[in-house]
Amino acid sequence: MNTVKIKNLIKTFGNDRAVDNLSLDIEKGKITGLIGADGAGKTTLIRLIIGLLKADSGEIRTLNLDPVNQKEKLTPKIGYMPQKFGLYEDLTVIENLKLYADLKNASYNFDKLLEFTNLSQFQDRLAGALSGGMKQKLGLACALLGEPEFLVLDEPSVGVDPISRRDLMTMVRNLISSETTVLWSTAYLDEAHSFDIAVVMDKGNVIYKGKPYDIAKTTKEFENKIIELMGGYKQEKSLIAESYEPVSIDIDCSVEAIHLEKKYGSFYAVKNNSFCIKRGEIFGLLGPNGAGKSTSFKMMCGLTRPTAGTAKIAGTDILKNPSKARSKLGYMAQKFSLYGNLTVKQNLEFFAGVYGIGLLNRRKRVDEIIEIFNFKDIENHKSEDLPLGFKQRLSMACALIHNPPILFLDEPTSGVDIITRREFWNHIISLSKKGVTVLVTTHFMDEAEYCDRISLFYKGETIAIGSPEELKQKANADNMEDTFITLIKESGKK
Amino acid sequence: MKILCALIKKEFFQIIRDPSSILIAFVLPLISIIIYMYGINLDTVKVTMGIKNDDANPEISTLIKSFGHSKYINSIIYDNEQDIIKNITRSKIKGAVIIPNDFSKKLSKGQNADAIVITDGTDVNTANYVQNYSMQILNQWLSISKYNNLIRKDIVNPSIRIWYNQDLNSHYFILPGSLAVTMTLIGILLTALVIAREWERGTMEALLSTSVKKIDIVLGKYIPYFILGMLSMAFNVFMCCAVFKVPFRGSFVILFTVSSLFLFTSLGIGLLISSILKNQFLASQISIGLGFLPSLLLSGLMFPINSMPYFFQYLTMILPPRYFITFIESEFMAGTVWEIVFINSIFLSVPGIILFCAVYAKTDMRLNK
Repeated sequence: MNTVKIKNLIKTFGNDRAVDNLSLDIEKGKITGLIGADGAGKTTLIRLIIGLLKADSGEIRTLNLDPVNQKEKLTPKIGYMPQKFGLYEDLTVIENLKLYADLKNASYNFDKLLEFTNLSQFQDRLAGALSGGMKQKLGLACALLGEPEFLVLDEPSVGVDPISRRDLMTMVRNLISSETTVLWSTAYLDEAHSFDIAVVMDKGNVIYKGKPYDIAKTTKEFENKIIELMGGYKQEKSLIAESYEPVSIDIDCSVEAIHLEKKYGSFYAVKNNSFCIKRGEIFGLLGPNGAGKSTSFKMMCGLTRPTAGTAKIAGTDILKNPSKARSKLGYMAQKFSLYGNLTVKQNLEFFAGVYGIGLLNRRKRVDEIIEIFNFKDIENHKSEDLPLGFKQRLSMACALIHNPPILFLDEPTSGVDIITRREFWNHIISLSKKGVTVLVTTHFMDEAEYCDRISLFYKGETIAIGSPEELKQKANADNMEDTFITLIKESGKK
Repeated sequence: MKILCALIKKEFFQIIRDPSSILIAFVLPLISIIIYMYGINLDTVKVTMGIKNDDANPEISTLIKSFGHSKYINSIIYDNEQDIIKNITRSKIKGAVIIPNDFSKKLSKGQNADAIVITDGTDVNTANYVQNYSMQILNQWLSISKYNNLIRKDIVNPSIRIWYNQDLNSHYFILPGSLAVTMTLIGILLTALVIAREWERGTMEALLSTSVKKIDIVLGKYIPYFILGMLSMAFNVFMCCAVFKVPFRGSFVILFTVSSLFLFTSLGIGLLISSILKNQFLASQISIGLGFLPSLLLSGLMFPINSMPYFFQYLTMILPPRYFITFIESEFMAGTVWEIVFINSIFLSVPGIILFCAVYAKTDMRLNK
C-alpha cells in the first residue's frame, strides 16, 4: 500500500526544470527522508504532492486522491509544516493552536501536544517571542493537529540545536500512529539515517531510494555514501585560501573577549564571557538556540553595545575605535543580508567599496573573487533568486573581499546541503592555515569537530571550553552530539 | 462557518496587537480632522493691505477709515509708493489701494474716478479677495458718502438667501468631506497590507494546506476590516458632530448605510492590490498613489469638478470618493435627499461588487513558485 504514487512528473518554472520526469512511491506507515542539495527540487516535489502547486505533466496520487482536483478532500488528511513554519507571530502559542484546530476541524485537546513540546508554561507567549527551537515545535504541533494520515515536514530542523532536534524526532515518533506516513525533508544526514526509507534527489529527479541502514551502518559512512550518490566531492586545494593574503597581525590574541556582558532588564543574554582566540585558530561557539551566541557575535563586531566589558579585534578595542577594528574583520551574518535586488557582481562591487577598496583595485579584486568562487555563470543573476547554497557562498565572498585577517561566521552552513558544507569547511580550514583567525557558530555537530577549540555556551554563560577531544573526554562520550547534550544537561542540573 | 469565525478572530487578535492598524484607524483620522479643522480654511481670511491717499479732500479720509474698520482687512497707511512696492515684494502686504489726487474732484464733477488696486497674483485666491474687498468697501463708502447720488438706482434688487450653509462656513463641508478621505485611507491602506503579509510571512502556505476555502479567506479579510472601518467612521462622525460642532441635518441610519457601501468598495481596492502584488511594501506604495491622492484631488472635495478639464471630469466618474463626497456633503448640510442617496448608492455599490468578484478571482489557492 502506497501513500503517494508519482509517475513521470514534470514541473518547470520559466526555463528551469525543478522536477524532471520523476517517478516515486512513498510507502504507507513509514518515515521517508527526502535528501538533496539546495535547488534539487525537494520543496517543489513536496508542494506538488500536497496540491500547493500544479504539475505541468505526469501523474500524482496522494492518499488515492488527485491533489489538484480533489484538494478539498485531501487537505484534511494531511498535516503540513512549511519551511517558514506558518505560525502567526502576533498570536500566542495557544491562539495559534486554537486557530489551526478550528481550520482543521480538530478538537481543543492540546494536553498531549503541549506536554511533548514543553510549551505548557509558555502558552500565553507570542509565537514571535519564542526561540527558534520552540517555534519549530509549535509548528510541528500545529501540523499534527487533527491526527493527519500523512505528515509532511519541509526541513523542520534548519537552524535548530541538537537538543531541540532530538525533541522534534521524539515528538514525531510518539505522536503518530503506526498507520501514519511521514515525509521529512532534511539537510541533516544523521536524521535521515534514522528513517525507514531515504530518498535522494538531484536535479529534479530521484537518484536513490532505499533503506538507509542498507547503504551504511554508521552515520559517517552514510554521509560519505550520500555524497558519492550526489556526484561526489573531491577535496581540492582551496582556491580561496591559495590566493588569500591576509593583512598580517602580530599579536597574541587576534580576538579577545573581556568580560562581555549584555543585560536586557534583569535578564542576562550574555554573562561574563571571556576568551582569547589565537592567530590562525578556528574557534567554535556552540550552544542551544537562545543561549546568547548571536548576541555575543554582535557585540564582538560592534553591532550591539555590551552593557559591560569589551572586545578587542587584532588588538583594537571595538568600543573605542569601532571602524578600525571592523576593518580587520569579515562578518557573515546568520540571515542573508546582501542586497537581494542587486546582481552577484553588483553586490561584490558594493561591498568592495564599503570596505574601502580603492576604485582602481576594486574591479580587479571583484574579478578575482568571481573567478575563485566560480561565480562567472551567475554574475548577472539577482542575488535573491539564487539557491541558498549560492547565497551563502556569495555572503562569504563579500565577507572576504577586503582580505581580513579575522573572520566571523554566524551559522554559515545553516540550511546548506552536505557537499556545499564540505566545500565551505575546506575553505575555512585552508584559510586558517594561512593565518586567518576564525570565529564560527554552528548547529552541525560534525562541523564542530573541525574546530581547534570550542566554547560551549548555555543560558548566556560559557559552561565548557577546550578542544573537541577534551570536551568528549569530559562528557565521556564518543561523538560531539552526545557530548553537547550531556554537558548541557549536566549544567542544567546544577 | 467555524473556519470563517476562526479566521475573523485571528484577524482581530492581529489588529489589536499591531499598533499600526490602530494608528491608521483612529489616530490618523483624528490628526487629519484637526488639520482640516484648523489648518485648512477656504473662507475669508484677514489680509493686510496698504493704503495710500493722495487726495487731500477731508471727505476721502472717511474712505480710508472704512478700510481700517473692515473685519477682513488690516490696513497700513503709506505715504510713499516705493514702500508699497517694496512691501508687496516682501509679502508683508497682499495688495494696496492708491487713491489719486483728483479722485474727489472727479467725483464732484460726476465723472468716472479711478482708484488703483494692486494685488499680489502669486496667490490667486488672496488676490481675488483683496480685489473683491476693495471693491466692496469702495462701493459701500460711496453709498453713504455725499456722492451717493452718483450711484445708479437699481430696478432689480437681489435679495440673497444662502441655503444649507447659511454662514458659508467651509468647515461644514470640508470636515464631512474629509471623512471620505479617511475612509479611503482605512479601506485601502489597512487592507493592502494584510493579504501581502500572509504571503510574505509564509502563513498563507500553511493556511492553504488546511480545509480553508477560498470564500473563507476572502470574507475572513473583508469582515474584520469592515468592522474596524465602521468603528473608525463612527469615531470620526462623533468628532465632527460632537467635538467640532458641525451641524448634521440628515439621518444617521442613511449616513452609515451609504458609508458602509463606500467602505465595501475601498476594502475591495485594497484587497485587490494586496492579492495581486503579494508584497507589503509595493502594496502600500500603490495604495497611497491609487487611493489617497485621487480621493483628495479628484473627488471634488478640494477642487470643484466642474472647473476641471473635460478629461478629468470624465475620469472622476469612475472614482467612488466622488460619489461619496457628493452624498456626505448633502447629508450633513441639506439632510436626506432621496434622489442623491439612491443615485450615489448605486454608483458606490456597483464597483464594490465588481471589486469583490475580482478579489475572489485573484485569490490564489495555489503557490506560483
